[in-house]
Amino acid sequence: MTGEILFQADNISKTFGGLKAVDNVSFALRAGIITALVGPNGAGKTTLFNAMTGHLVPDRGAVTFLGESILGLPHWKVARLGIGRTFQDLKLFSHMTVLENVTTATESGSWLWQTGGRAAQVERSARIERALDATQLQRRRDTRAVDLSYAERKFLSIARIMASGARLWLLDEPASGLDRSSYDRFLTVLRNEVRAGVTICIIEHNLDIVQSISDRIAFLDQGRLLAEGEPKTILSDPALAAIYFGERAP
Amino acid sequence: MATYIINLAILIGINAILAVTLNFILGYAGIFSLAHAIFFGIGAYTAAVAAMKFGADFAAATAAGMLVSGVISLALALPALRVRGEYFVAASLGLQMLALTVFSEWKSVTGGIGGLIGIPPPRLFGFDVSDPVLFLALTLACLGVILIAIRALVRSSFGRSLKAIRDDETAASALGKNVALLKTLAVMVSSSFAAVAGSLFAFFLSFINVESFVLEVSVQVIAMVIIGGTGTLLGPVIGAAIVLLLPALLTYLPYLPPTEIGSIQQMIYGLAMVLLMIFRPSGLWGYGSSQDRKRAAP
Amino acid sequence: MVFLQLFLNGLQLGAIYALTAVGFSLIFGSTKIFHVAHGSAFAISGYIYWWLASQLDVAWPVATLAAVLAAAAFGLLMERFIYRPIQRHEASFFTVFIAAFGVSLVIQNLIGSVAGRGMETVTTPLSRSVEIMDGLFVAPISAISIGVAILVFTALSYFLGRTHVGIAMRALSENPDLVRVFGLDPGRVAQWAFVIGSAVVVPGAIFTAMTAGLNPAIGTHVMLVSLAATIVGGIGSVRGAACGGMLLGLAENLAYWKLDPQWSEAVTFVVLFAFIIFRPSGFFGTPTAAR
Repeated sequence: MTGEILFQADNISKTFGGLKAVDNVSFALRAGIITALVGPNGAGKTTLFNAMTGHLVPDRGAVTFLGESILGLPHWKVARLGIGRTFQDLKLFSHMTVLENVTTATESGSWLWQTGGRAAQVERSARIERALDATQLQRRRDTRAVDLSYAERKFLSIARIMASGARLWLLDEPASGLDRSSYDRFLTVLRNEVRAGVTICIIEHNLDIVQSISDRIAFLDQGRLLAEGEPKTILSDPALAAIYFGERAP
Repeated sequence: MATYIINLAILIGINAILAVTLNFILGYAGIFSLAHAIFFGIGAYTAAVAAMKFGADFAAATAAGMLVSGVISLALALPALRVRGEYFVAASLGLQMLALTVFSEWKSVTGGIGGLIGIPPPRLFGFDVSDPVLFLALTLACLGVILIAIRALVRSSFGRSLKAIRDDETAASALGKNVALLKTLAVMVSSSFAAVAGSLFAFFLSFINVESFVLEVSVQVIAMVIIGGTGTLLGPVIGAAIVLLLPALLTYLPYLPPTEIGSIQQMIYGLAMVLLMIFRPSGLWGYGSSQDRKRAAP
Repeated sequence: MVFLQLFLNGLQLGAIYALTAVGFSLIFGSTKIFHVAHGSAFAISGYIYWWLASQLDVAWPVATLAAVLAAAAFGLLMERFIYRPIQRHEASFFTVFIAAFGVSLVIQNLIGSVAGRGMETVTTPLSRSVEIMDGLFVAPISAISIGVAILVFTALSYFLGRTHVGIAMRALSENPDLVRVFGLDPGRVAQWAFVIGSAVVVPGAIFTAMTAGLNPAIGTHVMLVSLAATIVGGIGSVRGAACGGMLLGLAENLAYWKLDPQWSEAVTFVVLFAFIIFRPSGFFGTPTAAR
């Protein structure tokens, strides 16, 4: 299964009022691995995510998931195909309990009730319990999201995507601000999920995290994809390091 | 005196239905409508016409009202909910104005400004239910059924999806929720249930005119929901009781010219809305937010 | 000739609507506050002018100044004592909306109790119509209100384009972080937006007092028009709000050609709905994601 191309972007561009946020970027996400998107602030990483999930439509280019074009689909349809994402500001359902947050992630139908009957119900609650177990939120299941600690909120955003059953996870700085022990726990959760068949694309600033978790790295700067490859190749490239740490390459 | 109390109780029951149904979209789905009185009115006019022209009994007239109200709400919600929340507020305010003009101008159906007079006494499955006590029982039964239905909806996956949309629309759609469709359904459910209140109201008074469906009424229902507490099941019922008992209490105050009572009433709940939003956004009987609780703790 | 007459009336009404909508749009654009109590600024300044000019016989420049001060003070007080405390703990659209709505409810009834619930007009020779062509009546006030509207817009675009605060205000509508980079306090910029946004409704309020007349519920009507014009013009675009207001004023008057006056608000709604269905981003707005 590893190696199959799950998601592909071809020559996509997006301009905001003259500023090229994403400039002719092509890249592929292979199934069963963790790809990290790195680059300095304003490199276009989040914009790229938004283009991948249908939150915005690229001006040019093609986006395919599992070989089918998803260009121009509204983002709820993209989500139903199996692309899930987290947000930098988490966007939890603050006035709902942990359990409700996770439960609603399993229910994407728009009708007054869920289809699929008893069997689907059992399958959904299995997903819910698994997500709560994996993120160690079981004992907080009846707490409202606003009342959680910072780390617990981060885990809840992962529990939500886990319960949604998405095959491809796009994580926007999911580990930022975590203390050492929660952060180790966090990476373990992600690794376990990848082993279970999930594909992850992660935006991350901390190069230590990138190094310890990613199988591939895509390096973005000023909307362009400068390099893509194995972590050690990319991270040892002095030209890229110079750009990353703010010294412009000549 | 007994009749007075029974009539007041019936009115509280009717308004509680309005508050509970508005709360379904306002408190659970975060959809702001300024046109709730219009769906109340559509229910009332439809039921009245059904009873006067076709001799419909209460159940049939109410069903007709719910149907018409649901369909018209669809016409409002479908385009307006595709876009941002602010649009719906504006569109619903527009509908409130437009529909009121229709109510007062479409004379052949609504009787114009004069209204519809002589709505026959309500009959339910062949029995006369116009006796005040029976009618109160009917009103409370309707309120009870609607409360149970809304409780079931709120606890279902549909209700969870609405709450998710209320808390964060972007995240909800990133989880595969068709936000526009879910919101439209919510508005339709709320508007059809509001029509039940309209039908009760028409049969209760046996006379209706536009005055009962003006913007002030929409605002009064919002006040009931806010004062009672949004997003709770019984809060709006309490809110309805408070708001309706207010003028009765005001009449006992000395030095208050009777012509000013309506105005003072509106000022009081306008002020209540402002103060509640500043100090206690979840309403008097709502679950306090975590900040509230932290602040209250010593 | 009827058409021309209605068109002229429409221009005058459109100028008033444009001024009101621009104030609303300016406030919404730079603070993201959905200021539905905007109609109250209109009602307050209109009634202050009426009270001074018509009840106390104060000279019009003094009455105008008082009206401007009252509107600006109202905007400032709203920002300071209503919106800021709310935003400190829960800045949702919902809480802000309810509070603003509550304020407009209080103001409307307060005006009703103090000034009476009837229609009040300020009589002035300026609103006496003259027949300038066969069947075409124009009052000096029409020309004055259009002229004043143009003047205010020119001043406003100078302010937004050339002054430090004005530029910051526009920047705030695009990116709040930019303002801090600018070295300006966003709170201070928000106060300016409220002061100026509220003050620009005053000419509209005074002209309304001189022509159609004021009643306590006028704030609600103004609110509907401002919301509609802002959406028609494109949310966040000041220029769009001006065009939207003008369009609504024209539409409302041209509708009299075939419809009775009680349908005027219905026309506003129909225009609004047409835009929501066919062009939800308005004249100048950036497309808001239709989901």
